Formats: sequence, C-alpha cells, structure tokens
Amino acid sequence: MSIITQYTNRLRDRLDVLPTWVRALGLLLVVALAFYLPYLNVLPFAYIRTDLSATGTDWASVLFLVVVYMIVAVGLNVVIGLAGLLDLGYVGFYALGAYSVALFGSTSSPVVEAIQNKFGLSEEWAVPFAICVPIAIAMALIAGVILGAPTLRLRGDYLAIVTMGFGEIIRICARNLDNVTNGAAGITNVPVPPGPEVDGRPFFNVSEPERWYWLALVVLIILIWMARRLEHSRVGRAWLAIREDEDAAAIMGVAAFKYKLWAFAIGASLGGMAGLLFGSKQQYVEPNGFMLNLSFLFVAMVVIGGSGNILGVLIGAFLLTYLPERFREFQEWRPFAFGVALVAVMILRPQGLVPSRRRAREFEDRKVEAEEAAADV
Amino acid sequence: MDFDALINGLDRHTLDGITRGSIYALVALGYTMVYGVMKLINFAHSEVFMVGTWATLGTYTLIGASSGMGVGMIIGATVLALLAAMLASAGTALAVERIAYRPLRKKGAPPLIFLITGIGCSMVLVETFGQVLKVFFGPPFGRVLVNVPAVLPTKVVFTIPGIDLAITNTRIIIIFGAIAMMVALDFFVNKSRLGRGVRAVAQDPDTASLMGVNQDRVIMLVFVLGGAMAGVAALLFTIQYDSTKFDIGFIIGVKAFTAAVLGGIGNLRGALIGGLVLGVVEVYASTVWDSSWADVTAFVVLVLVLMFRPTGLLGESLGKARA
Amino acid sequence: MIRSSRTWQAVAISAVAGLALTACGTTDTGGDGDAAGGDCNFKIGVMGALSGANASIVLPSVDGAELALKQWDNEDCDVTIEKFDTEGDPAKATPVATQIAGDDSFIGVIGGAFSGETRATKAIYGDAGVTMVSQSATATDLTQDDPSPVFHRLVPYDDYQGAAIAKYLTDELGATKVFVVDNSEAYGEPLADRVEETLGDKMAQRDKTQVGQTDFAPTISKMESAKPDAVFYGGYIAEAAPLLKQMRDAGIDAPFIGGDGLYGSDFGNAVGDAGEGAIVMCPCAPIEEDSTFAADYQEEFGSAPGAYAAEGFDAMSVFLAALDDGARTREDVEKFVDGYTGDGLSKEISFDENGDVPKEKVSYWAYKNEGGTLVPDVEVSPAS
Repeated sequence: MSIITQYTNRLRDRLDVLPTWVRALGLLLVVALAFYLPYLNVLPFAYIRTDLSATGTDWASVLFLVVVYMIVAVGLNVVIGLAGLLDLGYVGFYALGAYSVALFGSTSSPVVEAIQNKFGLSEEWAVPFAICVPIAIAMALIAGVILGAPTLRLRGDYLAIVTMGFGEIIRICARNLDNVTNGAAGITNVPVPPGPEVDGRPFFNVSEPERWYWLALVVLIILIWMARRLEHSRVGRAWLAIREDEDAAAIMGVAAFKYKLWAFAIGASLGGMAGLLFGSKQQYVEPNGFMLNLSFLFVAMVVIGGSGNILGVLIGAFLLTYLPERFREFQEWRPFAFGVALVAVMILRPQGLVPSRRRAREFEDRKVEAEEAAADV
Repeated sequence: MDFDALINGLDRHTLDGITRGSIYALVALGYTMVYGVMKLINFAHSEVFMVGTWATLGTYTLIGASSGMGVGMIIGATVLALLAAMLASAGTALAVERIAYRPLRKKGAPPLIFLITGIGCSMVLVETFGQVLKVFFGPPFGRVLVNVPAVLPTKVVFTIPGIDLAITNTRIIIIFGAIAMMVALDFFVNKSRLGRGVRAVAQDPDTASLMGVNQDRVIMLVFVLGGAMAGVAALLFTIQYDSTKFDIGFIIGVKAFTAAVLGGIGNLRGALIGGLVLGVVEVYASTVWDSSWADVTAFVVLVLVLMFRPTGLLGESLGKARA
Repeated sequence: MIRSSRTWQAVAISAVAGLALTACGTTDTGGDGDAAGGDCNFKIGVMGALSGANASIVLPSVDGAELALKQWDNEDCDVTIEKFDTEGDPAKATPVATQIAGDDSFIGVIGGAFSGETRATKAIYGDAGVTMVSQSATATDLTQDDPSPVFHRLVPYDDYQGAAIAKYLTDELGATKVFVVDNSEAYGEPLADRVEETLGDKMAQRDKTQVGQTDFAPTISKMESAKPDAVFYGGYIAEAAPLLKQMRDAGIDAPFIGGDGLYGSDFGNAVGDAGEGAIVMCPCAPIEEDSTFAADYQEEFGSAPGAYAAEGFDAMSVFLAALDDGARTREDVEKFVDGYTGDGLSKEISFDENGDVPKEKVSYWAYKNEGGTLVPDVEVSPAS
C-alpha cells in the first residue's frame, strides 16, 4: 500500500471516531472557508489564487467554473463510479442543461420568438428563470432515459461509444438546427436567476462573479448531500452489486436494468443542472462550447480523483480545472504539460488520488493477483 | 433531402464511401487488435496514425520528392515513405505501450485508468507536433495544415463503360492497399505461429501463459502490428488528401473506433466491414443531406446496429472461431 | 485513546493555522505593477485561441501585435502585452475578461479573435469601460443587433464581405452558376448565407461541410453534377486546402474563391500546387512596397505573416497611438479610439458609431495565389 493511501486511510479512521459535533463543526469550517475563498488574500494561502501573475485570470470566475465542473463530476460519478457505466458523452447532458435555459429563457432564442408569435406575447416575454430550471433538469433527465433505455443492455465499451455518439449528436444538432437553436452563432441574453437589484443592476451580473460562485456552491452542497444519501440507500447498494458482478446481482434479485437507468437519469439531471448554471452565468451558449474533448475531461476528473468517492471526484474536478488556470504563465505549453501530468499521475496512483476505501481494497487485491500472474510466467 | 442525387450516382457514391472507409478500416485494426488481446480501448491510437502522416512528409522532404517525378522515382519515394510511416507508427505504438500501459498492467489497474493514460498520451503526441517540435525546429511543425507533396499525381486510369465511372490510380492503390494489408494481417494472425500466440492470449491470457506464451511479447506484437497498419493508413491518407496537421488523428481516430465497434470490436474482419460500412454511410448521408449531418447519421446507424446485434456486425472474436 | 488525542492535536494545529490566516500579510492582487514607467505604465491584453485546433487563425495576429509593440518608440511609456489563451472557448474567455476588467493597468484589449468569445465577454468589458479592438470577429450581430460602446473592429462585418464576394463573382468572373460551400461554423455559415443572398439565382447549389473534415468526395460529386463556373468556400485554411486539392484532382477547374479567413501567407503553403490562381478576398489593402512588415515579421517569428497578422499589428498601433496622444485612463483611450483616424497596415483605420469600419471606407481586395504568395488582383467595393 502506498504511503499516501496509508496516510489518508489512517486519517479517515481517525475522523470516523471523532464525536459527531466535532465532525459537524469541522464540516462547517470547511464550508465557511469555501464561501470565503474568493476573498482569500492572506499570505501564504493566497498563492492559491489564479490572478497573481500578469496573465492570470479572475479568481472568482475560475472558482465558479471549478464548482460547476464539481457538480458535473458528482453527477458523472453516479454513472461511472457508483453504477460502473462508462459514459463518454456526458457533455451532451451538460449542453442540454445550458441550451434549455437559453432556448426557453432568452428573448433572442428562436423558440421563445415562436411562442411570442403564436400567443401574441410582447417581445420582452420569455419563460421565467424559475421555470427554466425544472425544464432544464427535465430535458436532461428525459434525454438520459431516452439514451439509456435502448443502450443500457449493451456492455462496457459498446456503451461508451454509443454515449460518445450521443454527445456528438447533441452538439451537431445544436449547430445545424438553425431554426431552433440559432445554429453556430449560439444564443445570447440567457436569463440570470432572479434576485434583488443592487445599484440598479441585477444581483447576478457579469461583473460580480463571486455571487455566481456562491450560488453554484450552494447548489453543489445540496447535490453532494443528496448524492451521499443516494449512495448509502437501497439504490446505492444495488449499483454496487451491479458494478461488481451484474449477473450475480441479477440472480440475487437486483433489477439491473432498472437501476442502471436510474443511475443514467440521475447523472444526466446533475449534468443538466451544471450546464444550466454555466449557461446562465455566461449569458451565452454556442455549440462549440460542448466539444467531445470536454467529455473526456469530465471522465478524467472522475478517474483521477478516484471514482466512486465523492471527495475524490471533487478533488479531481478541482485539480483539472484549476491547475491549467493557475499556471497560465506556461501559455501554449499547458496542453502538453496536462497530457504529461495525466499519464504520470495515473501511473503513480492508478487507484486515483483519493479512492473510496472499497475501491482501494479491490485495487490491492487485483494488484496482488497481477503480481502473482507475473511471477508465474 | 435529395434522394435522387443518391440514386443517380449510387455507384460513384459507393466508391467514394469505400475509399473513405478503407482508411477507417486500417486504423480500426489497431483498436480492434489491442482490444481483442487486452480488452482496452487504446485512445492514443489516433495519434499513432498522425505520427505516420508526418513520417511520410518527412521522408518526402528528406529525399526531395515532389510532384512530377518519373515513374521509378515515384515508386521509390512511395515505398520509402511507406516503410518510414510503418516504422514511425509502430514505434510510437510501442512507446505508448511501454510508457503508458505496461506499468498499469503490472499493477493490475482497472480498464478506466488505461483510458485516461491513453488520453494523456494522445495529448502529449498532439502537442509534440503542434508545439514542442515547432519551438525547436519551426515550420512545418505547428498548428497549421501542412501540404504534403502530391508525389503520386491523381490520374484517371480507366473508365468503367456504361455507367461512366472514372477510376483513378489513387483509388486503386487505397482500396487494394487496404484490402491487401487486411488479408495479410488476417493470414498472419490465423496461420502463423506468432499469430497463434496472439489468439491464445486473446482467448485466455492465464492459460496462454501456462502454455508458455509470453504475454508481454504478444502484447508488444499486437501494438506493433496495429501501429504498422496505422502507418499504412497514414501513407494512403497522404496520397489521397496531400496534407497533414498536428490534430488530424482525432477525428479519424473517433471514426475508426466507431468502425471497430460497428464491425464487432476485437474482430479483424469486423474492422474491415465496419470501416467500409461507416465510410459508405457517411458518404450517402452527405449526399442526401450534407456533410454536416454525416456524423449524426453514422452514429444513429451504429446505435441501430448495436440494438439488434449488441456485439457489432460480425461479433467480437480475435481468438474464438475460425482457427 | 491515542488515536483521538492525535486527532485533537491535528484539530488544534488547523485552528492555529486558521488564526494565522488573519495575521499574515496580503498579496497585491490588483496587479498595479511597478512604477518604472512613470504615469504611463500599462498593459494591453490579447485574448484568443493560442492553443488547440483553431490557434493557427489567431497566433499570427498576436505576433503582429507583439511586433507593433516592439517597433514602438516612446520613451515615457512602459507598455507590456499580455497574452491570454481562451482556446476560442467562451467558457475560458469569461474569467480572462473579468480579470482584465478588474485590473486597472489594462487600458485595452485586442480581441476577441472569434465572434463567440466576443459575444460572451463584450458585456464584461463594457461594464468596466475597457476598449476592445478586434482583429477578426466579423459576426454581423456584434455591432448591428447588440452594439457595445467599447467594441471596435478592424474588419467589416459579414454582410459587406458577402456582398463583396458575390460582386466579385458576378462582375469580375462573370459567374452565373456559383457553388457555395461553408464550414457550418459561426464564421463560414453566415458569410455563405450573405453570398447566397446577394447572388440570388446565380447560385447553382449550396453545400455544408464540417470543421476537421478531410474527405470532401460528396461535395465534389455534387459539384460535378452542378457544373459550376465558380466555387466559393466560407471557412478556414485547414479545410479549404484539402477541398481545393480534391476539386483539382477531380478535374474541376472552376475558379475557387474564399473569404478573409483564408488570407495569410500560410495559404500558399497549405494548398500547394493545386491552389494556383485561387482567389482570397480580404478587407485589407495591399501592404505598400516600402513597408518592412513582412520582412520584420519573418525575422522576428521565423515565418511569413499569416491570417490577420496585419490587423493584429494595426490593433496594437491604435492603442499605442492613444498612449502617444497622452491618454492615461480607460476613458481617455476609449475616447481616442472612437475618434481615431490613421493609416494602418491593412487599411485606413477609423470607426463609426457602432465601432465598425465606416461604410464608405469598406473596401475589399481580391488576392490571387500565384506561386504560393497572395498577389493583389483587384479592389472590390461592396457598397456600390
């Protein structure tokens, strides 16, 4: 067992035996620190900020993006980490979330214009943001079911390519259906969440990214709480059984298909939620924001962090989003460094940075097996 | 929608599709062989192909080949470029295996991890040609499209009478080259001693080890063979399209992977069928609608095929059956 | 238990660390910079795709801007250019824009290079009053539907270019059956739409392709049956070059014409022999004979100036002229740029009330690819 794993395991064991109130307090401190992060400006901790160098980027905006990707990672973790289904087209759900709020909430979207004309509404009218949220989640959820229903009977890598195709289909449709999505030009004026006006401007505006960050953080915390409940519920155990051995689970009476579809739908709606936040903050969506590479990046976040473990995937999402922004000095060298880092990290820690304990143990077993097999030859 | 255009020129469009699909099929072989033996998707294989196209360009530049040479020179330059591309691609594939996959194999890591190191390797290779080599050597490396001299000028060799279908020399070379390589590979895997080892490991790695098959060596062989096929594909690609770019592998890779799955991943003949079918479907879709809908159609066809044949057109089997 | 006492130690240490948070000093994240340049110590941002598949369209303009700064001669000012890689992705561009907007030492920004990222960041720069001068964002709506006081561009928008290309096709080439192809993207599609609109029934057929495509056989066979007397492609070099080669291979000899996305010295390299005689339209006047731009660029960056390199140079020159003029705040710069007129490398520069090239100054040049270089052929004015 590597030193880091030993250390983290020991740390976790210790945390487990702490009194509940201490753990609650600790959690509260972590959350409070998270909310404070945009203002974190004391040395040496401030070196974490991304806006220190001349070519840095705005710290709060980066934090927002980090949290959005964390939501994505939590959602994708349900599909990959818990249910063990490889989804290479997760960006499709993310795009659906962003496009739903744009299509129904923006005054310049062709869909809203069509509704205006049909019902003789004023040009200012659009679906209110509060209604766009359930629409976005529902669209992603339905897409998850539509994609999952015919394809979830496929195994492993066949599923991977079908989902990859799905992600591409969503993007290409968004690009080609000019009359619905405004095509490659994208949709502007995406609505923002309602809020009190401050200084005559909406509460959520383009110049105060920290407010967006806090909003996303609240959503993330709620979703993490829900995901954790889910993981330890009946559904979560069913996923675990399916992941370990689908046939055995089926014999024991776990309706594999039903639970896999659940995982897909839940994962999809989380992806939709993340997309919605993203589209709304940016106030602009375009098809090129949802390229296939993003799907790979999402999978990398989950795997690098340690799939199956929420803390792990959060760290994975943080590192893969944050590091390229933090080290902008390297300019055109960043993608190269990113690739090298991916390979290096995975070879050094194939179980992920913070694997779930169960996964880590499984991994140890397999490693021993591999060593034995190698010794036999 | 323009079905008339499709029906009227069906022969022509089918030929276009087969030309396009031949290259997919050759690249798909690399995915399929690695999958058959190791049950993993080698995401860096697209870049193995890309390196091959650059090797072709490099060979032409070194020997000063250009369009308008004599027949002897054309054949010489092409053969040299073929060897260089096969060597470069096979070498790259081997390096990827050694650096990114072997350490993981020794640790018994789950398949997902291989996926991520594959993506990582792919980024490294892309950036090597888009950034690193540019810094050291300048153009032609970098992020722009590069012209590869048309050493073999396209000429109409003959016209099929009656349907008025012009057959060019490049088409003949691509289609027959691809099929010949495929047949040779199939023969090698099914008939030779080394091929038997490959099939044994694909069927049951543990038993194969017990029977004295060196698993590491078989895996290396598989990467070398897949890489060499990608190298052939790279040469044929440059003959047909006369250009390369640092990220040219990505889309071809996605298509070839799709082709491999369509035909039945792990199945050599499946890769051929899958590639050709995919190429033809894309060209048909581009004709009926336009090229911006080709990918959507291809993926829809893939989903439909998989719904009725969950393991692809020919089913998966590198080891099983036809021994 | 030993275990828990250790844990308590850990808790105590983190509490101390937390206290230390408030005790330590703070970083200067405002980035005011040092005071070496007196009152004229500024930064100019460039944002665009510096890595990734689209970088080749943006990098030359960034190099051009860098060259302009290098050649600038002003003792009083200490100006640096800061490059921000957005990968052409609006999601990556917004944090960049917020950062530039919040840092007062930035007095202007060159970009966005693409229309998408410009749409996403225009409001942020507008809020902070940062002047934008774009070298290559040509989408019509940026200034026509949704104008922003801070946005300026050195290239006329798609409507003009579409009209100019159509005009060239009909008047200069006498084409009556034009085959129009686009790349389905935010640049090529609207441009091809404008060309189609202006051509009317002189367009034979329209086809769409994709970015990253290399095999154009279906488009070629459509061309063969349409028998066009000219072909227009709206898109970038990476797809234009293989398309053109495959056209010539198939024996289609109709003249090939492309928009300003193809303009740049790398066009000749990419298309090779097949590109002989291909036409590229560009809103840029031929660079004067005595200009050393191309030679300087070659010396500095090791390659001939590519797409929008001259526009990048000009964008930087506009900002530098503002500083020469004594502008020291964002408001000064904005005011100066709004009223700026001057001779640029690419054209005579000025901006109308929307930040566009004024209508009467819009002029296009058709460049012909001869032996690998783009040679000015004829001037086309879309207005008349």
